[in-house]
Amino acid sequence: MTRNRLVGVILVLVGLLVWLLLWEPNGAGGGGERHAPLDLAARPGGGDFTLDSASGPVSLADLRGRVVLLYFGYTWCPDICPTNLAFISQALRELPPEEGARVQVLFVSVDPERDDPQRLADYTAYFHPSILGLTGTPQRIAETARLYGAAYRRNQGTDSAMGYLVDHSAYTYVIDPDGRLVRTLDHATPPPEIRAVIRGLLAEEQVG
Amino acid sequence: MMRASSLVAAALLMGLSLGVRAGEVTLGDPYARAVPPGQPNSAVFMTLRNTSAQDLALVEAQSPAAEVVELHTHVQEEGMMRMRRLDRIELRAGETVKLEPGGLHLMLIGLQQRLEPGESVELTLIYDDGSEARIQAPVRKIQMHH
Repeated sequence: MTRNRLVGVILVLVGLLVWLLLWEPNGAGGGGERHAPLDLAARPGGGDFTLDSASGPVSLADLRGRVVLLYFGYTWCPDICPTNLAFISQALRELPPEEGARVQVLFVSVDPERDDPQRLADYTAYFHPSILGLTGTPQRIAETARLYGAAYRRNQGTDSAMGYLVDHSAYTYVIDPDGRLVRTLDHATPPPEIRAVIRGLLAEEQVG
Repeated sequence: MMRASSLVAAALLMGLSLGVRAGEVTLGDPYARAVPPGQPNSAVFMTLRNTSAQDLALVEAQSPAAEVVELHTHVQEEGMMRMRRLDRIELRAGETVKLEPGGLHLMLIGLQQRLEPGESVELTLIYDDGSEARIQAPVRKIQMHH
């Protein structure tokens, strides 16, 4: 009697387990209202892209041999982007010059409406003269963001006097000298850590 | 008649006693973020400590350095940093609230002056009891000291 009940309980538990293993959250299939750039789950692999700077087109493919730090933001961004750019710049300044020359920081605008190449150049130069500000058509920016899993969304519905804001992910994508996305740094990663990541990759390159 | 005048007296008394409350908020290290030329917006950070026995809230800020000053915060959602406007920043009795990069801040919108290190920004903080505090926030570049 009790044994039967125990077997019953076990069967029910096994059934539950199977159901849990097979169950998929219903959001996975039909998240229609979400924007494509929001798809963070896609496990981005990185890849080459070409965007425009004030001094002409810049292709990731032309930056082989350098460690590339890629950041998506916008110049009106009052706090998040300046913090990351300030920390990245500080890391750059603390590198020996010969190593600094083998690093390229790219700041890609997710606000092409307000950021033109010249504005981006003025903005990035304020933080460090070697940083390149990049923009392009909304489509090309979206494609680049998708490659790296950067998410952004223009937020119209704010009551702020700023007008629209752009919500965006604040990761720094680290690309090795072979053009591979090897690391993602969190928002406000401290300069010494950024510097250590850069130096590690440059040292590997030397060995390899 | 009596009633009206006592109401006025009560209001005056309240005004007076409440007016002191801004003085019961201790401000720590206020600063405005230096921004690149042409940048229309910036942010002000500080520590606010409510030393009084009553809850208080910061509800408004004004500055001659900007067209508009708003209370803002950042929230991290869906992997994104999202800035949101707030109606008030609560300062519970005895509590310390930090306005810092990546979190709560006073947003300077439509800058009227260049924010360069060495300069400072004048601000008026207005609390929910109507009391005000005037402060000077020096302009600083964000740097990590280590």
